[in-house]
Amino acid sequence: MNDETKKKINERYEQELNKGERFWPDSIFKDVVVSLGIFLLLVLLATFVGVAPEPKADPSDTSYIPRPEWYFLFLFKFLALYGQIPLLGKIEWLATVLIPGIALGALTLLPFIEKNPARYYAKRALSISIMTILVVGIILLTLMSEVPTVSEDGSKLLGILQAAAGLAIPGLAMIVLFIASFAFKRTTTRFFIWTTSLASVSMILISGMVLALHVPPQVEETEVAVTLVDQIVAGQDLYSIHCVECHGDDGSVDVIEGVEGLEGEKITPINSTDVLYTITDSAMYEVIAYGRPNAGMIPFGKAYGGDLSRSEIDTMITFMRYSWDDRFESPAIPELFPPLAEGEVPSYDVHIQPIVKRYCISCHRAGKENNNYLMDTYEEILTTGDNAAKNIIAGDENSYFLQVIQEHEIMNPEKPDEVLIGVMPPTRSLKPNIIDVFMRWIMNGMPQTAVDAAALFTAP
Amino acid sequence: MWKNIYLWLDERLGLNDMYNNLLDRPEPKGSWWNTLGSASLFLFVLQGLTGIFLTVYYTPSPDHAYDSVQYIMEGVAFGWLIRGIHHWGATLMVIVVFIHLLRVFFTASFKFPRELTWLIGIGLFIATLGMGFTGYLLPWNQKAYWATTVGTQIAGSVPFIGELILKSLRGGPDLSALTLQRFFSAHIWIIPAILAALIGVHLYLIIKHGESHFPTKED
Repeated sequence: MNDETKKKINERYEQELNKGERFWPDSIFKDVVVSLGIFLLLVLLATFVGVAPEPKADPSDTSYIPRPEWYFLFLFKFLALYGQIPLLGKIEWLATVLIPGIALGALTLLPFIEKNPARYYAKRALSISIMTILVVGIILLTLMSEVPTVSEDGSKLLGILQAAAGLAIPGLAMIVLFIASFAFKRTTTRFFIWTTSLASVSMILISGMVLALHVPPQVEETEVAVTLVDQIVAGQDLYSIHCVECHGDDGSVDVIEGVEGLEGEKITPINSTDVLYTITDSAMYEVIAYGRPNAGMIPFGKAYGGDLSRSEIDTMITFMRYSWDDRFESPAIPELFPPLAEGEVPSYDVHIQPIVKRYCISCHRAGKENNNYLMDTYEEILTTGDNAAKNIIAGDENSYFLQVIQEHEIMNPEKPDEVLIGVMPPTRSLKPNIIDVFMRWIMNGMPQTAVDAAALFTAP
Repeated sequence: MWKNIYLWLDERLGLNDMYNNLLDRPEPKGSWWNTLGSASLFLFVLQGLTGIFLTVYYTPSPDHAYDSVQYIMEGVAFGWLIRGIHHWGATLMVIVVFIHLLRVFFTASFKFPRELTWLIGIGLFIATLGMGFTGYLLPWNQKAYWATTVGTQIAGSVPFIGELILKSLRGGPDLSALTLQRFFSAHIWIIPAILAALIGVHLYLIIKHGESHFPTKED
């Protein structure tokens, strides 16, 4: 750039300054308004949207689908689409390093690549067109990042459409623009505008089609217990499912009873100060995750083939501490189910489900010895089991279910001295208020929802 | 009396000079697009302040990071607000800095005499992304852990030196306590120091050359 051009640019700037404004207060005013707006927006976001709770990092959970930060999603999608290209797609570093490297390098060195001093938009048609296509591409790739390249039914249509919108069209448009500006000197600005608009609009339309065709899979909502009370309750539910059989509902068992293979095994009561004062949370975590194979305790952590994630074991430890460790003061824990008024009928959703989860599921789930009686869902409770026909009969006090929870064994009708179903739960008895809930539920026809139950309410 | 105090300070600090040189400057007619730079600066300061508050309770170790963030959200008075602002501020900062970059590109403000301002600006953009990348891991939750796993993997695909980059980012072949420790260090010391220094130069250059005007047919 020669001195004359520089002088011209400086003079031109002086002109603009003369008909301009003052930094203080004109510019500062706008800056302050925008900054205040941003601050307000952030406070609103923090208050009303908040930060979504996430479970603790769990390196052993290989089923977790890893995704980068949202502002790298476009690059992630670009990599996935690039990987579809035959041959070239196999050379990973081309897409992860070379192309982003070239893009970033070009962006950095922009003042030295676009050396032409012209600043007006029409005089920079090529740069503006390319940047527009890139920005539209980045936004669309980000929006499409959730859509897989191969649908669940094996169809590759979505992948092809994505590759068209995210790779082929922008790539082609840029090549056309380059050729037009270097091979033909007299390309008009109108041509750039048309090409860019055409490319952008078709990219947007195809991406719109992809998003419209894509059926988002049902996301399994993992509830994360955030407050201490939630954690204790979640921990107790997990404890009731996985630990109660051997350790008892208050952790006081010292000789295991009624568990196949471990009958008569002597264990240390886990609610004792000996255990709670000397084993730290992280040691307790290891015991639960790895188990004690020599003492018959199976591993529960996912890392060792169990069912429980890091966060789940942590909530169980929280429950144990706040329930049995006298150094911890437990907050008020809400009732398992709302107490029943006279004449009120309990429902599955509100009353039965939490009780079943705490007292029955431990054994009545797949893979346990339970006469095939599973209790995971409303339907299962009513229809499964070897004795399903006589188990739960609406309005019948002699239903097997009601008999066994009141500690009356059911004898086999064919061989009167053989026990068909023992008392339930086998090693402890339910509290009278829980038996009352089951009694009222079955006597009134097993309503599922609170609304159904409310319709059956009979005022005393 | 106030006048005397002001005069005493002015003699020693040069308040009038500062007013004349920094605040009472002529500028070309600006638009709302010109506020994006100061908005980025505001977000940087806000992130710094909320970040400092967070370090009071945050513990950068895999055993305690998650619980300490949980404690900030549940136990500390207004901890949820500070963390919420820091969390959303990070997202907004990436957006605002990116739009600022686009504005400068489309109005060709990076041209003579502002080439150096652009170079520094690109450094600021990369550092902002670096802040986002390192900060994302700190809550040590599933999302954070796996995002960093993928992110460092991508960085590790560089030919020849990929292995070295991967290991130096992670502090070993896998994500571990070392990874968290060095991401924390980068997030609260190294990158902010770079950012602050670059912002200083960026601001000096803006005052030196003035804000660029919107181009017209004459430019």
